[in-house]
Amino acid sequence: MTRPRRGPSKIRTSLPHSSGERVELAQIVAADWLRHALSTRPSDRARAEAAVTGLFRRLGEPAPDFVWVPSPAAARPVLLDAPHRFRPPRLRGTEAPARPADWPLVSRLANLVADLRERLDERTGTELVWQPWYGTTAPGTMTVSEALAGGSSVRDVVDAVGRHPLRTTVDDAVRAPIRAELMRTEGEAPALTWYGQHDAAWIAHYDVRARVGLATYAHDDVAHLGLWAELARSTGWWWPGEGVCVMSERPAEIHTEPQPDALHGELRLHRDDGPAVRYTDGAAVHVLHGVHVPEWVLTDPTPERIHAEPNVEVRRSAIERIGWARYIVRAGLSLVSSAPDPGNPDSELQLYDVPLALWGRPTRLLLAVNGSVEPDGRRRRYGLSVPAHFDDPVAAAGWSYGLSGEHYARLLRRT
Amino acid sequence: MTTPMPVPMPLTTPPTLADLTARTGLDVLGHLEREVTIPVVDGLQAQGDLIVIPYAFVARHLREPRRSDRRRVPAAGIELLRSAAGGNPHTLVADEGGCHWTDRVADPTGLALGMIENTAVAYLIHPEHGGTGIAPGRYLVRRQRERAASRQGLRGGDQLIAD
Repeated sequence: MTRPRRGPSKIRTSLPHSSGERVELAQIVAADWLRHALSTRPSDRARAEAAVTGLFRRLGEPAPDFVWVPSPAAARPVLLDAPHRFRPPRLRGTEAPARPADWPLVSRLANLVADLRERLDERTGTELVWQPWYGTTAPGTMTVSEALAGGSSVRDVVDAVGRHPLRTTVDDAVRAPIRAELMRTEGEAPALTWYGQHDAAWIAHYDVRARVGLATYAHDDVAHLGLWAELARSTGWWWPGEGVCVMSERPAEIHTEPQPDALHGELRLHRDDGPAVRYTDGAAVHVLHGVHVPEWVLTDPTPERIHAEPNVEVRRSAIERIGWARYIVRAGLSLVSSAPDPGNPDSELQLYDVPLALWGRPTRLLLAVNGSVEPDGRRRRYGLSVPAHFDDPVAAAGWSYGLSGEHYARLLRRT
Repeated sequence: MTTPMPVPMPLTTPPTLADLTARTGLDVLGHLEREVTIPVVDGLQAQGDLIVIPYAFVARHLREPRRSDRRRVPAAGIELLRSAAGGNPHTLVADEGGCHWTDRVADPTGLALGMIENTAVAYLIHPEHGGTGIAPGRYLVRRQRERAASRQGLRGGDQLIAD
């Protein structure tokens, strides 16, 4: 090759000139990465193994043995079976080997990619300020033409159409629920997870920046990033270990819907007649409109299960499957009292008695209405359990914030 | 009691949600009205499962937080709380220097996230709930709790609201 490739993506175009062309190209490249992130095809095992081998080689390690599993759920027993190979060590103070080169492979691989990203960040002209919400920027709240006309920098608009929606969709809306469902950990994690197709967001960011002419990286860094890009294009999650690497297939099904009012194609998981994500071995993740729920919420949302569920969003999703009115009847709730909700005009707080058998301890249910409207113009209702001695819904609402009813009655605004 | 807000520099008019999102880089969902001026509230107010309590309401239950624990809220803001699924942060923002925050507050209810002390208007922004202004003053920020189905948990059977 005579001249360095600009980025690892495979789309061929000439370098764009105008701002509009750059943003357009960013959208094309980002859409391609999203396609890989949501791919449900079987892994391309040869390509994935070659890329992992390339990363091991950069650590001075020989090619590992590969163990393929159908899903992240199926990886767990394999990882737990050989903890000495996979477990990320505690590298604290005196316990850590003095030289990073003596650290276990799991840690050295993490260092390898952290160093790579640091060098790429230097070249893209942005040291990433630690803002956990950097998933959005002001241009993200506008359409492309509005943002460009409004004087936003090309870099910000390119991020708004590429980096941020990918992060929102892939990392937060798709990867997080899969991990929460299939990689449940008690105590220490059994291994360090790399996400293959679901690492696409950060890889795409560096790729897009280079492709649209906003960054040039060192030759070797492009080749290195290319290995991660190969993994994102060819396989699911993977777990490196000493001499071995566990590789998961991609899901067989991924069901999404657009996020409400998404300006830049942000998606979230959703399916109401089955799992939103399903692997070939049956491992599944159930998600309703972006809310990660247990399977029973779809199949059999009973009052008993709803009351045993600690997460209010899950309870709300389950009750909405039944309908609030039917739920109140089926659960045998009886209205104790109601009162205007302070600070929430035209809304009422309602206090219901809950049958002892349903909850297992004396409890009342406070029904409140959200202070802000949903995209469809409705307001969500929430049910919170409160101690049974409350007769006044305002006092019960106050208790939920550790306040007296007198104080809570002085609530000026709820959003 | 929603007061017209004191004019914070460098803005010359009360900010709208659109101004606030532009200044901070934070985002809110598209259906929330962006051009309406954000009310500044001088008193008790709630944003979803978070509540902002005038310090005087709860002062007698708390030990005075140490001044040395306070830190200045940067222009980019401080994230106070996220949902269980990892999204939808409540973020506290203010003009540089106009607001301090400490999370070292001993609250007997166990609900406190921290204390806000602001000399200029500060704002709470949330992707789903929008924005709200906090008049200069001292406030305790608490989370919401509910009765758990079992007797285990916070103080014999309460749990923090998970959403």
